[in-house]
Amino acid sequence: MNERAGLRLFRVAPVLLLVVLAVAWQLPEQRWLRLSSSDPEVARQMTSTLDALPDEPLVLVGFDPDLGTYAEVRPTVRALLADLLARDGRLAFVSLTAEGRALASAEIARLGRGAANPTRLLDLGFIAGAEAGLVDLTRGVQLPGDEADGSFARQVDADGIDAFDAVAVIGGNDLGPRSWVEQVAPRIGEIPLVAVTPTVLLPEVQPYLAGGQLAAVLGTPRDGAAYREGLDLGNLERLVDPTPPRSLPLLIGVLIAVAVLGQTLGSRLLEFLRAARAPAAG
Amino acid sequence: MSGFFGTTTADVVATWVAAIVTLVVLGALIGERRLFGWSQHLLAGLATGFLALIALTEVLGPRLVQPLAADPAARPDLWAGVALAATAAAAPWLPRQLSVIPVSIAIGALAAFALGGAVIGTLLPQLDASIARPGGSAAAMVAGALAAVLTALVLIGFLHGMPRGRLLSGAAGAGRWLLIGGLGGWLGFLILSRLILLVDRIGFLLGDWLGLAP
Repeated sequence: MNERAGLRLFRVAPVLLLVVLAVAWQLPEQRWLRLSSSDPEVARQMTSTLDALPDEPLVLVGFDPDLGTYAEVRPTVRALLADLLARDGRLAFVSLTAEGRALASAEIARLGRGAANPTRLLDLGFIAGAEAGLVDLTRGVQLPGDEADGSFARQVDADGIDAFDAVAVIGGNDLGPRSWVEQVAPRIGEIPLVAVTPTVLLPEVQPYLAGGQLAAVLGTPRDGAAYREGLDLGNLERLVDPTPPRSLPLLIGVLIAVAVLGQTLGSRLLEFLRAARAPAAG
Repeated sequence: MSGFFGTTTADVVATWVAAIVTLVVLGALIGERRLFGWSQHLLAGLATGFLALIALTEVLGPRLVQPLAADPAARPDLWAGVALAATAAAAPWLPRQLSVIPVSIAIGALAAFALGGAVIGTLLPQLDASIARPGGSAAAMVAGALAAVLTALVLIGFLHGMPRGRLLSGAAGAGRWLLIGGLGGWLGFLILSRLILLVDRIGFLLGDWLGLAP
């Protein structure tokens, strides 16, 4: 391939990638590519943790994903929220980052559009102060003015964080499961912490799971898919994503990424070999 | 499908705006940088505006102004906060000894909470969890010992500018290679996350915007 053709291919490659991914997105899902065919143990751990909660559990949802990785966890997050509501749970949302607050607002609005019972949802809003804000949350929960009514709100107002039976952390941003484990868990006793995180946070949260500081974590798309497949949500099925994530475009994208990396490594290796051979020839 | 938009007129408009901005961002791949630059400015402006909005409506209003307006004498801590904020705002015109106070308190508090939490919430529990106890399985003991060796090697890899022997240099080199391997694995996870985001955007354009079901 001459230099001009290589340059042309380099310019067209991104468009080709988009077209290939778009075509792959349209193709029917292949059974052998199902994300949920992974080890179901992680999903079972999440389900058994939720099963162990009392009836009609009160769950504090620490909602701080980031925009760059939310697409990865979104189907699992929505399934978890629907699962908790299907267990007659009551959910209080709180965010400590601006991105998390924006996404929490969007998800609460979406639950409203899906006709989720509004008496089971509480929007605690945004808490400033990062780690200090988290510590402040363990000392008392301040309700926004427009959320002060209702038995759920009164219970949270009276008991603070002790009112909750579990904490579910949606991670991705700076203040994710690690911050909750470090700042909140030592101050709240035996309330179980569960988390949904993007894969990029897996190395960070895995030690907490192994050490028992997190009761359950859904940290990869496959774990999330296995969890979603095991759910029986009844009429709350409307609250989950109607279109499951597509695995074929992902596979193609990963293969292309590996090929690009391999090509870079290969050309480096060739350069190295040529440089090593040149003095010997000289 | 992202599911963020409903079927009202406002939602349809929002879908179209989101689709156009997505196309503008993807247009950077084929060299259309000017529109992409404008979309970056739009994002920065929206993020700043949103941050200011939640600061006003969810922090300053309900947590500072309203309590002080309701009973000014009941919350002396809030007046101290107001004084610190005013000092920070007037820092360019104040003597340095005075203007550094709010920044010092902010940095000190942040470091104290972060460091205290890291020790109590991460370091001590993780050390406790990694200790190989008698009666544990052989696999757990080997895994614990291996984790301790790898951690020690990576920590040694951070030693710079100190006189070393051959053994320590070898350990530091091994530690740095382990660190690079760890970073490589982390970048692999990051590529996967970004790839999922790209496929999600394509799904948004095809599904939410054009109405093509897979």
